[in-house]
Parts: sequence; structure tokens; C-alpha cells
Amino acid sequence: MFLQQLINALTIGSLYALTAMGATLIYGILGILDIANAGAYLVGAYLGWYIYYGTGSIVLAFLLSMLAVGLLGILLQRAVYSPILAKPHTLSIIPLVAAVGLFTMSSDAVRLICGPNSKAYNLKFPVETLRVGNVVILPAWLMIFALTAVLLVILWFILNKTKLGLAWRATAGDAEIARVCGVNTDTAMALSYILGYGFAAAAGIMTGILYNSITPALGEVPSYKMLAIIVLGGLGNPMGTVVAGLIIGIAEVFLSVYTAIPIPKDAIAFVVLIIMLLVKPDGIMSRKNKV
Amino acid sequence: MKKVLALVLTLMMALSLVACGGNGSTGGDAGTAAPSSPSTTTTAPSGGDTSGNSAAPALPETIKIGFFAPVSAAAASADGASAINSAKLAVKLVNENGGINGSKVELVDFDDGLDTTQAANIAEKLAYDDSIAAVVSGSYSGPTKVAAPIFQDAGKLMVSAYAVHPDVTGAGDLIFSQSFPGAVQATGAAVFTAEQLKATKVAIIYVDLDFGTTQVNAFKAKLAKDYPDVHVVFEQGVAISDSDLTSVVTAAAASGADLIYSVNYYEQAAEVLRQVGLQGLNIPVLGTEGADSWMLLDIAGEYANGLYITTNMNRDDQNEQTQAYIKNYREEYGIQPDMVGASVYDAFQVLFEAIKNAGTDSAAMRDYISGMKNFDTVTGTLLYYNAEGSAVKPIQVQLVTNGEYHYAGIVDDAQIIDPANY
Repeated sequence: MFLQQLINALTIGSLYALTAMGATLIYGILGILDIANAGAYLVGAYLGWYIYYGTGSIVLAFLLSMLAVGLLGILLQRAVYSPILAKPHTLSIIPLVAAVGLFTMSSDAVRLICGPNSKAYNLKFPVETLRVGNVVILPAWLMIFALTAVLLVILWFILNKTKLGLAWRATAGDAEIARVCGVNTDTAMALSYILGYGFAAAAGIMTGILYNSITPALGEVPSYKMLAIIVLGGLGNPMGTVVAGLIIGIAEVFLSVYTAIPIPKDAIAFVVLIIMLLVKPDGIMSRKNKV
Repeated sequence: MKKVLALVLTLMMALSLVACGGNGSTGGDAGTAAPSSPSTTTTAPSGGDTSGNSAAPALPETIKIGFFAPVSAAAASADGASAINSAKLAVKLVNENGGINGSKVELVDFDDGLDTTQAANIAEKLAYDDSIAAVVSGSYSGPTKVAAPIFQDAGKLMVSAYAVHPDVTGAGDLIFSQSFPGAVQATGAAVFTAEQLKATKVAIIYVDLDFGTTQVNAFKAKLAKDYPDVHVVFEQGVAISDSDLTSVVTAAAASGADLIYSVNYYEQAAEVLRQVGLQGLNIPVLGTEGADSWMLLDIAGEYANGLYITTNMNRDDQNEQTQAYIKNYREEYGIQPDMVGASVYDAFQVLFEAIKNAGTDSAAMRDYISGMKNFDTVTGTLLYYNAEGSAVKPIQVQLVTNGEYHYAGIVDDAQIIDPANY
């Protein structure tokens, strides 16, 4: 059972990493805890469902939904976050409140437009369930591992090997100085949002496929759990977020299965966070580390 | 930019008002369904009236019935929609058939958002509104048990549709439940587990709410009392928000169980079934009325086949009312009704029957409902009301075959179905 639970934990951990990646990229550059990213996750899952049912192609569902939600991210950044941050002496709680408002609005909008009933992806995989001895690996899990890996490699490539990525890293380091040096910080911010919201949409679709169900409540748990993951990962550090996602996935599965702790599974992320912060206040990887 | 922000914020406020605000005005489709001429239908009550009232009581021209359900709570909004749909259908149909002794029924519906504070506010509003004849709760145990004492204190009668917690009817003599409490269903499940399914090692996965804990305790108590050979080998509660049950199902199977008792709502019950099927575990699953939803069949697909549930509605019941309700609901909303919807519909039938025979006075309605016997409802025959205000009716066991719920058994032993006996 141990090996099976380890695979279960890695699957859920990968999904957590991907879910929190969007918020990490946005925090990295704007210093905002963007709860609305959980709204992007929800809207992405629903858009993906409609596209999948309209076209029959899950690949198109991923691509179009990520693109559409990414563009929505840029729109929100331009219309909501930039004007708030442009004000002098903006308290950091103000963009957070705006994000909470946007998230609440997204949940209610999805419920009112798409209806309160759950929707099933019913995606049939062309491969069979893998069985090695007593260990089972479902095709959906393989897809999650593969997609998470591919998306993270693309992210690493963009951030480390392209000019745009250099601009992102410079802006994340110090936006003022980057601007003085001629870096187009607006583009870097737009990159954060299109990638951040696009990642969230992909994570939403994957969750929908994994549990074969999406409801208007889909974004509720990620909206708070992603906070624990990005803080644990060192606030704004993409690599740290991956490690943090996996740690929380493993902690949740093993603590809930092998111990009789009387706390709900969803609270484990925060317990892990508190312990980690006591030991290492900067998170697993502080922002000073390179991506 | 200021304008854009202002626009967005205004939109947010507007949307949140749409989402959270109670629909305090007329609900339902009463407007279109109003009878054009006062009908004089004074047919004998179908349920064998024992109150002895022969003359029709004086009724107001419009009978207002208060109602609340968790419409905007994301986690409960599907049940909320089922509840409000059925409430509107019940009101529409009664008006189409001439109302109650010629009086039109009007629904005054509210959204409690699965929030106990909101439920208390709604209850205060309805309880002290003299134009409201009585109230139906289409909500979960949490909001309903907060609202119940408020109605009791104000002297207003409430019929709860499907809340399972004993504190609901425990609030007083004006509070009734249309359904059986959770303990009854779980006791029936324990008997079915031991006698029909012949399981000896049971793994329990339950939602960590009143719904789950009430039933798990009653299930274990019955096993301990009457079936010492049946052991609970695994037990784990899961938060209602938790969609990942993979590791729990893996652990339940590793415990060597020959039955999984899943006391979850349909979303999680579907995930238990999917994981059992996908992981190739070959363990039968027994669910509850929480799994009684077409959405479970949709989500779990082929893995739903073989699921047993304890519930109150028998889909194969040839009872005219049951089949008519299923047909009407499908025609009205284009989807299948579920346990929640059927229970809400029945709560209205109980109330309509009481108003028809006893008028809108709370004490008179209470006396009438307390004396109801063998009243036919969509969710089976309501045998009688016990002293606690709980409906005593048989427990239906349904089995999913070919993606549909079908009759698999009935538990009607008086010792089990009347909670006054434990």
C-alpha cells in the first residue's frame, strides 16, 4: 500500500504545484496574493468542458481555454490591478480585497451562467490502467505527471532562455531599477498574467478530468490552499512552488492515512506551513535563489 | 481607469446581490397558474384523515408558504436548485388543480446560502410575518436546526424536507420532518449489510458533517448491538470540500474490507465508486440518500453499477403520484429529479394536506399532521408521525443497474423505522 499511496501523493502534489504556479508568477512580479487565480482555475475548467464538448478534442480544450483565460488575466491586470497599484501608498491589502471580490464574482457568475449542477468530462483514455504488482497507475495520473512536467519545462525555458524571461526576472528582482534600465515592465507583468492564468486554467481542466466532475465550488479549496503552497515555496519562486506542492501532497496523504490526527485533511497544508515557517522563515526557497 | 474600476466594482456588487439576495417577493409560477374560477374540490384526503374534520376550514384568498434552500452556496447549489425547482413545481401543480379548497398558493422563497446566520435571519423574517401560513425547509441540517427553534418560538409551523439531524424536530411540537432521521436510515443500512449483503468487514468513509456522523454512529451502534460478527475495520471522515478520495479508498481496501459503507453526498460517493472501479478493487459499496442523484450516475458512469443505497424514493414504485412527479419534473426542468427534490415536493404535500383539512392555524395544522396515517407521498407511504415529529416510513434500498436506480429491497420493520424505538 505504501508505494500506491506514494503515487497517489505525487499525483495530487503535481496538481497542487500546477494550481499554485499561476499565483506564484503573479506574486513574483507584482507582490499581490492573487486569490482570483482560483477563479481562473474554475473558469478554465468550465471553458475547457464547453470546448471539449463542442469540438471533441481535449487538446483544443486545453489550448483554447488556457489562451482565453490567459487573455482574461491580462484584461484584469490592466483594468483592475494596475490602476490600484499605480496609486501612491497603496496598502497591500487593497489588491488582495479586489482579488477576493473577483474570485467570489467568478464563482457566482459560473453558477448563474453554467448552472449549479456538476458536469462530467467523461474523457476516455486510449491507454489502459497500468498495473505493476499491487500498484495501480491510472491514465489520468500519467497525463497529470506528463502535462505538469511539460508545462514546467516550458515555463523554465521562457523564464531562463528568452529575453521576455530576462525581463520578467529583472522586474521580479526590482521593478523600479528594471524600468530605469529600459526593461519593459508592462510586458513582464502581462507575461505573468497570461502564464499565471493560463496555468490555472490547465490545472482546472486536469482536476475536472481527474475527478470527472466540475462544479461552481471547484475554486474554493484552491483559493486558500494555494496560499499555503506559495508561502511554503518561498513566495514567488516557481521551483519552490513545485517542491512545496509535492511536500503538501505527500503530507496530506500520509498524515491522513497513517496517523489518526483529528484535523481535516485540508488543514494539513497549513500545519505543514506553520512548522516550515518556524524552521525556515523564508520558505523552502527564498526569492533570492535563481529560478 | 477609475471608471473601469468603478464599473467592475458596481458589477461585482450587483452580481453578489443577485447571488445572495432572498427572493422575498412572489416565487414560483403562481402567476400563470392561478385558477380562473374558484374550484370547489373538496375531495376526501387520500391519506385516511383521522382528525374528523368534515367541513372545509376557512382559508385566506392566497395562502403564502415560506421556503428556504441553499441556492447560492457553491458546495450545495445543486441540491439548492433541486429543492427550489420542486418547491415551485409543487406550488404550480396545486394551483393548476384549483389551489387548496379554491385558495391560491404563493411561494415566498429565500436563499440561505448554507449559512446558519443567513438562515436565522430568514427564519426571523418568516416567523413574524403574519401573512405566512407555514414554512417548508428545503435546506440541510445546519441551517434547518438553527431556523427550527425560531419558528417554534414564534408559533409558526415548519415541515423540514430532508434534514436528518434529530435537533431539527427536537426543537418543538410545531416542527415536523417529512423524511426519516439519519439514524433510521443508517440502522436500516446496518441490517441490510448483515442480513442481505452478508458482509463481515466494513470500511466506512463518511462526510465529516452532521449528515455523516449521525449515520455512522447509528450504523455502528446497530452492528454492535445485534450483529457482533460484523466488524468495522476502517473508518475515515472526509471534509465536504475534499475531492481527492484516492488515498482513502486505497487505505479502505488495504484494510481487507468486504464492503465500503459510503456516507457521502453524491459528489464524493461518485468519487468513491470511481476509485473502487479504476483501482480494480472489486468491493461492493453501500451508500445513503446522499448518493441518490442523477449526477452521481453521470459522474461515476459505469462504475456506479452495483451501488446499493438506502433512500426514501423507490423509482420502480408504480404509485401514480411517484410516476407523475418524475414525469412532471422531467417535463418542467429537462432533468431527472433526485431524493432532495422528491423530499421537498413531499414536504409541500404534507403541508397542503394539513391546510386543506385544518386551515392555516398552526395548532390546528400541528394536530392534523400529528394524526396523519398512511399518507401516500412520492417518497413512499408516510405511515404516521411519531411523538418527535418525525415521519415514519419504510426505508427503500435501491441498486444501480445499467446506470439507473432500481428496487432492491425495503426495510419496514417497525422496530427499525420508528426512531422512538431506540
